[in-house]
Amino acid sequence: MAEIHKEVYGMAVATDLYERLAAHGITRRDFLKFCGTLAAVMGLSQTAVPQIAAAVGEAAGSGLYPALWINGAACTGCTESIAQATQPNVADIVLDILSLPQMETVMMASGEYAEKAGEEYAAANKGKYILICEGAVTEMLDGNVLRIAEKPYVEILQHYAEGAAAIVAVGSCAVDGGWVRAYPNPAKATGVKAYLDANISNPKKRPPVVNLPGCPVNPLEIIAVVVNVLLTGDLTKILKDPVKELNLDRQNRPKYLYGSTIHDNCERRGHFENGEFVYQFGGQAEADNYCLYAMGCKGPQTYRHCSKLRWNNNMSWCVASGGPCIGCGNFNWVDNNTPFRQRMRRIGAGVIGGPGGLGIAKAGAIVGGVVVVGIGAHALASKATHRIGKNSTLKNEEMKTYDARKLKKKGGSADA
Amino acid sequence: MPSNVVIDPVTRIEGHLRIEAAAENGVIKDAWVSSTNYRGMETVLQGRAPEDAYYITMRICGVCPTSHGHASSKSVEDALKVTVPNGARLIRNLLEAAEFIHSHILWFYTLAALDYVNPAKALEADVANTYALAEQAGTSTADFAAVKARLLKLVEGGDLSIFTNGWWGINPLTDPKKADELYNPKMPAELHLIAVAHYLEAIEMQAEAAQIIALIGGKFPHPMTSVAGGTAFSPNDDRVAELLYRFTKLNDWVTKTMIPDTLAIAPFYVGALEYGGGCGNFLAWGVFDRKNQTLDSRYLPAGFIETAQGLTVSKPDVGKVKEYVEHTWYTSPSGLNPQKGETKAMQSWSDSSYNVEDKYSWCKAPRYDEKAAEVGPLARMLVAYLSPDNESNKVVADTVNGALKKLGITDPTKLVSLLGRVAARNLECAVISGWTIEWCAELAAAKKEGTAALFEPYTVKDKSGAGLWEAPRGALGHFINIKGGRIDSYQVVTPSTWDLSPRDKAGVPGPMEAALIGTPVADVTRPIEAARIVRSFDP
Repeated sequence: MAEIHKEVYGMAVATDLYERLAAHGITRRDFLKFCGTLAAVMGLSQTAVPQIAAAVGEAAGSGLYPALWINGAACTGCTESIAQATQPNVADIVLDILSLPQMETVMMASGEYAEKAGEEYAAANKGKYILICEGAVTEMLDGNVLRIAEKPYVEILQHYAEGAAAIVAVGSCAVDGGWVRAYPNPAKATGVKAYLDANISNPKKRPPVVNLPGCPVNPLEIIAVVVNVLLTGDLTKILKDPVKELNLDRQNRPKYLYGSTIHDNCERRGHFENGEFVYQFGGQAEADNYCLYAMGCKGPQTYRHCSKLRWNNNMSWCVASGGPCIGCGNFNWVDNNTPFRQRMRRIGAGVIGGPGGLGIAKAGAIVGGVVVVGIGAHALASKATHRIGKNSTLKNEEMKTYDARKLKKKGGSADA
Repeated sequence: MPSNVVIDPVTRIEGHLRIEAAAENGVIKDAWVSSTNYRGMETVLQGRAPEDAYYITMRICGVCPTSHGHASSKSVEDALKVTVPNGARLIRNLLEAAEFIHSHILWFYTLAALDYVNPAKALEADVANTYALAEQAGTSTADFAAVKARLLKLVEGGDLSIFTNGWWGINPLTDPKKADELYNPKMPAELHLIAVAHYLEAIEMQAEAAQIIALIGGKFPHPMTSVAGGTAFSPNDDRVAELLYRFTKLNDWVTKTMIPDTLAIAPFYVGALEYGGGCGNFLAWGVFDRKNQTLDSRYLPAGFIETAQGLTVSKPDVGKVKEYVEHTWYTSPSGLNPQKGETKAMQSWSDSSYNVEDKYSWCKAPRYDEKAAEVGPLARMLVAYLSPDNESNKVVADTVNGALKKLGITDPTKLVSLLGRVAARNLECAVISGWTIEWCAELAAAKKEGTAALFEPYTVKDKSGAGLWEAPRGALGHFINIKGGRIDSYQVVTPSTWDLSPRDKAGVPGPMEAALIGTPVADVTRPIEAARIVRSFDP
């Protein structure tokens, strides 16, 4: 137990956690910086940093928080993603913060003993545990297309969901079926929330579902939700009004994680505004970190925080390494964003909706946001978009000529 | 014979798996491996742009997305006759190497170690003796006292979290002796504590390897830059220096911790040299391109070995691959070559749908020249070991022979076993991490010489191609047919399809099934030996 506490900006923080972090080369300063990133992402003021540090420290020093992690039709990439968290790392999470007797990819038990581990824990903690779901819910063959311990996964999901305090759907597959539900959706995939809404015996009693779309989920997104819960402190308070306490939007996503586009905070944004684009991989424009918009980057239409949170202990993120965003945080992301390399077009109602997506009405507001925030303010690029929108078959050379001509009128140069 | 051993779910793997076996007099006589999930990737790809397959297919596997991405880009490049430039070749080698090192560390410590190491016994270790043992074994030390205290805290808290039920129904706190019988009771508590300390350290190291993937590919899982035609990553001098620094750190840990740990634990499981060998046929498509980019010149070369015909390597011909579906839940035609393959899932399920005498898996049964073939590190290391003309032969042979000598094994054919499969993976990790240092230097030199081009433009045409490559867990093939500028059909033959395959048309078991047959199981209700076999394939 954490009996000794240290003062950080007047807040007590369990020293256990610091000692452990120090053992793997993470200083107190690093940890506070990490809390600062979380505060920034969560839209909190930097004065919240000591509170976040204290909440995480306390959680690491007190008893384990009950949780179960179940895998549907998954690639295990979201588990892998969590394994890449560094402050705290996955060992800190499963040994010091969350009790995870059921997490298939890391749990010690096998076979019937593995099944029992989850089963008995769920029974003993009925109504108290957080259920974390990874992977799509596949309904083909009445759910028998994915069987675990001789039961369809859909039954397991429903069973654990009915005893959960709250559910977190991690990754696009758990949120809406992800790539598995892409046309023609051969395994009849859907998301956790949609499945439960249609099948749970008493829909009014469905535990709140927090959606964390993305392929994969970013470990910091899960940690931010955990910190959100820890800061609120009182589960009953959260359950009374989850939308308010967890700050959820209409798609059950925490607003602070999905409230702005990749493009809003992109480090290559300056080049976008200058009309400096990469038209082919491997050239000088790429070496100069020019904007990837012409390569089909979906940053302007993708609501996610990669450009701020970054990935793998702050190492990089797709665009920083030269990969155009493919919009993996969008709903039905494969159908709505392919062809990935085609310059963004069809800006207008329906682009984010699409078959089985958000629907036109909901998409309207988002698309409006894209146009105003992402592109509307920049006449040059905006015009380019509309031009391309009318004729999406423009070749690289034609695009270059077009962008250069437009830019010349504005008094710049387009050297790509 | 009715089955009396069932492991469902098999945990600590990627995906979903069920094992059934029939044991008699303490030995498995028959076994069935069932993949219990179908997602439909090949169908989803139809009609999409060929270069989009790179981004989508890597989502087959969250542990080895890099390898799927590379195989996909290579299938498009093969179809369009594109050769990636030298700089892209080196960057892909480095990216794939980081993937292999990440995966192998994760496999040995996070996924497999708990079958050989008893964390409860680590509590009995004397800390001073643990330091002495680590020094004697030549492995790195850690804060062993802190690790022991942390384990103790977990136990005293009464909630074992991920270790719950880990001892197959035995309570290790009230019945420590019985729990330890699952392992080798002769293995000292101090070695268990060393392994637990490195189990925790490995979490950091696999993340370090993943950070290299992120540096080149933007993130891990699902890196984004090895697009068809080359790479979208631009290696400026700072990035090359950072790659060298990070790979050096990894190489250091692999050679000073992972390999000594392997050699320290192996002597307690030498019995595992006597079983678990499997079908005896090995296939590798090869991985890590040399300058001329041919399959058999690769750093780990392509090859096929049929041990019953002698320890010789033949050049593999992808035309000899056929996939059978008689014992699967697919209704598409059986015996097709994957370039002409089809995937149609059955459309109704009943209580008798799962039947080991009939249909029991979502894995097709690929066969090479009508034979089951094991893929993976053991296959790759054997092919390289037995390919004297390949430039890698010496380093692979030296590494393998060095390990055999340390373990006192005189007959290299003993490597075709459970212990051989485990050791091959870790030795391969050391060989590859050594190469990464060379490739960083080669990349720096190529940049200076102006031979580090990154991308070769192409035009999409209606052609067919195969991307033959390796994932950490074995031979991987992506097969594309392009029509009207779009994907007309796409087939993936994964390492798991090879190793976990059910019986084929002739009733011949797959490699994992064959490896289970003959494996001793002391207690059918606690089949830890069978679990070791299954996980040794890194499914």
